Amino acid sequence: MGNSKTVRFKIKRQASPAAKSYWEEFELPRHSGMNVISSLMEIAGNPVTRDGRTTTPVTYDSNCLEEICGSCAMLINGKARMACSALVDKLDQPIRLEPFSKFPVVRDLAVDRSVLFENLKAVKAWVPIDGSYDLGPGPRLTMQDQEAAYPLSRCISCCCCMEACPQFNEETNFVGAAAISQVRLFNTHPTGSALKRERLSALMGDGGIHECGYAQNCVEVCPKDIPLTRSIAEVGGAVMKQAIGDLFRK
Amino acid sequence: MNGKYETHEHDVLVIGAGGAGLRAAIEALAQGASVGVVCKSLLGKAHTVMAEGGIAAAMANVDEADDWRAHFRDTIRGGKFLNNWRMAQIHAQESSERVRELEQWGALFDRTKDGRILQRAFGGHTFKRLCHVGDRTGLEMIRTLQDRGVQMGFDVYMECAITRLLKDGDRLAGAFGYWRENGRFVVFKAKSVVLATGGIGKAWPITSNSWEYTGDGMALAYDAGAELMDMEFVQFHPTGMVWPPGVQGILVTEAVRGEGGILRNKTGERFMERYDPKRMELSTRDVVARAIYTEVREGRGTEHGGAYLDISQKPAEYVKRKLPSMYHQFLELADVDITKGPMEVGPTCHYMMGGVKVEADTAASTVPGLFAAGEVAAGLHGANRLGGNSLSDLLVFGRRAGLVAAQHAKATVAPSLDPGQIDSAERAMLAPFERKEGESPYALHSDLQENMQKLVGIFRTEEDLRQALTKIEELKERSQRMSVSGSRMFNPGWHLGRDLESMLTVVEAVTRSALARQESRGAHSRIDYPDLDLSWGKQNNVIARKNERMELRQVPIPDMPEDLQVLLTEEKGSAA
Repeated sequence: MGNSKTVRFKIKRQASPAAKSYWEEFELPRHSGMNVISSLMEIAGNPVTRDGRTTTPVTYDSNCLEEICGSCAMLINGKARMACSALVDKLDQPIRLEPFSKFPVVRDLAVDRSVLFENLKAVKAWVPIDGSYDLGPGPRLTMQDQEAAYPLSRCISCCCCMEACPQFNEETNFVGAAAISQVRLFNTHPTGSALKRERLSALMGDGGIHECGYAQNCVEVCPKDIPLTRSIAEVGGAVMKQAIGDLFRK
Repeated sequence: MNGKYETHEHDVLVIGAGGAGLRAAIEALAQGASVGVVCKSLLGKAHTVMAEGGIAAAMANVDEADDWRAHFRDTIRGGKFLNNWRMAQIHAQESSERVRELEQWGALFDRTKDGRILQRAFGGHTFKRLCHVGDRTGLEMIRTLQDRGVQMGFDVYMECAITRLLKDGDRLAGAFGYWRENGRFVVFKAKSVVLATGGIGKAWPITSNSWEYTGDGMALAYDAGAELMDMEFVQFHPTGMVWPPGVQGILVTEAVRGEGGILRNKTGERFMERYDPKRMELSTRDVVARAIYTEVREGRGTEHGGAYLDISQKPAEYVKRKLPSMYHQFLELADVDITKGPMEVGPTCHYMMGGVKVEADTAASTVPGLFAAGEVAAGLHGANRLGGNSLSDLLVFGRRAGLVAAQHAKATVAPSLDPGQIDSAERAMLAPFERKEGESPYALHSDLQENMQKLVGIFRTEEDLRQALTKIEELKERSQRMSVSGSRMFNPGWHLGRDLESMLTVVEAVTRSALARQESRGAHSRIDYPDLDLSWGKQNNVIARKNERMELRQVPIPDMPEDLQVLLTEEKGSAA
């Protein structure tokens, strides 16, 4: 904080997935309205460290700069959040930038988040329709149902909820809050609900919903305020009901 | 084949993973083709996610009188009669089906009271026509298409940039590119290639477009011998943020002026009094744009080359209630509190109507095996695009491109790759590393942007355009001396250097076309030719590469069949 004329950054660097990480410091002139992404762009244009040494530009993912694409998630002063909406004036200095700790580092601040797609595949987060042909008018959906599902569809696949979750790690294989919330979304969808049973079954196995420890970190870090804990509770209830039902059917 | 490079083979290679690219990939997969999708950024993060307004489709859920004929008429009028009428017809006829399909795949549209897709009004559309998901329709579209693509199983090559299309004689044979992460080269062999790379906003300093928008597809197509059309038609929004950098280019909705926002120049003067004393800030878009342009041009602009737009004289609670997303967005992204002080705004580059010339029904370019869909293609929007018509464009022509690309792949034998072309593409990419102490790609880019902003912006004159062409020639020469330091491991300067080549090709095409068209029509405003010219209304500017030079010619617009002409005259409009 403070009103000094410059802003200091401490950035964790890593040249390749297997390389050792190290820290570098940068200092930029302060101007109003700076955020972490605009600062990283400035560094890329003139990659010189605080002690005057020329270095390589810092690698990071970004795209829309409007907090809608979900690319620029990273750890900022230890917290999983989007860099485009992280205002420099509101952060303690030096501002520490690190890659997500639970995803393989590609380079510097860029990590491989493809596990999210694997998890969405595992829970069949789609509507099962074959081919493409004229489907006629779609099923009616009430305004109330649409409004109830709307917050769930705001997910921008940033993976902040997974990074912040204590249970999301290699030991548990936990699918994470984002995928569970998508199960809730598709299970309430008029045609998507056809796969309801399969989605719930997928959440019973390895890395399933029982791994959630209710730490509630997910809902706290979600940049889109998705009611993730409510999704987990609701889907958890449905999984339980189905499991008991299956037991009696045997 | 040359064992030197990592090589992937597909029936259909789609370049770009926005709405058009994903829709094309899904359709090609449905045809049984093997499909690869290459994208510069991550899957699901393409520029399409930023679209807010909605998808235009004459579903008549809200206004029962709407039908494709009315949508067709609106599109042609908006495009000032320069559209490819067949594309406008197909688009109007097929967009409803594409929306329904998206709904079936899981897109969660806002609803009417009786449970159907809700449609809202939008500028230029006679009826309530835009199917939307709150103010984030683009994100919903991408998420739905991405989920479906993941289900169907396409191969995605993320953070990979294509630098050259490879040919086998006259036909397309594949593409050469590099991985952004490690700088290694990669070769794709494909029977069909679909370009879905979007627009060219990054050639201007103030743009609402994402960093990926460097005109790659248009330049790749041009280099491969395809034609570009309507390149003079670049859509600017009159008010985008020009400062601070974190929000530069982001649109400031017209509602800010509607709710009482006041425009001032750097001397504090409310300059609209001189341009439209009656309507002031509520004047039409073109008058406001021209007023800001003139103030900046005559030295009365703000520090960062815009005008002040101030709504802070209104009570803070009023602003927060009337403009909630504007208020939150600028506060969260740049700590700008619009209830406390003025914004700095100016024209922001938003959309490219021109692009690769394609056949309406097939999305085929003039090069066999090369297709283009979405913003990279020209024709549908003519001289100006209506809001909402871009998302429907992606779905309608993305699908058609994917379909025909797959059929084309089925009907042809595998092409062979020419090692000579691949080697030359590699040498071109490595050249900047071999030069020492040359031009910096960053400096070149900022000079290019400044040139375009000053001379080929929202208002144009012959003098400016001629000067711009001279500057572009200089920039092209300087780019031959461009040097890059460091390694090929994620090197943004190197990446920018390659993007710059695409931008240089495209801005030259834009400037030449703008110079040729001696009239004002749609998004092309010539101060020295302020009126519509009937003869220019009958032809498109088309650009092709001839003997290493850019050749421009005028191509007459084919006559519209009578049954479509009738639709336009049914109800007389105010347009040309």
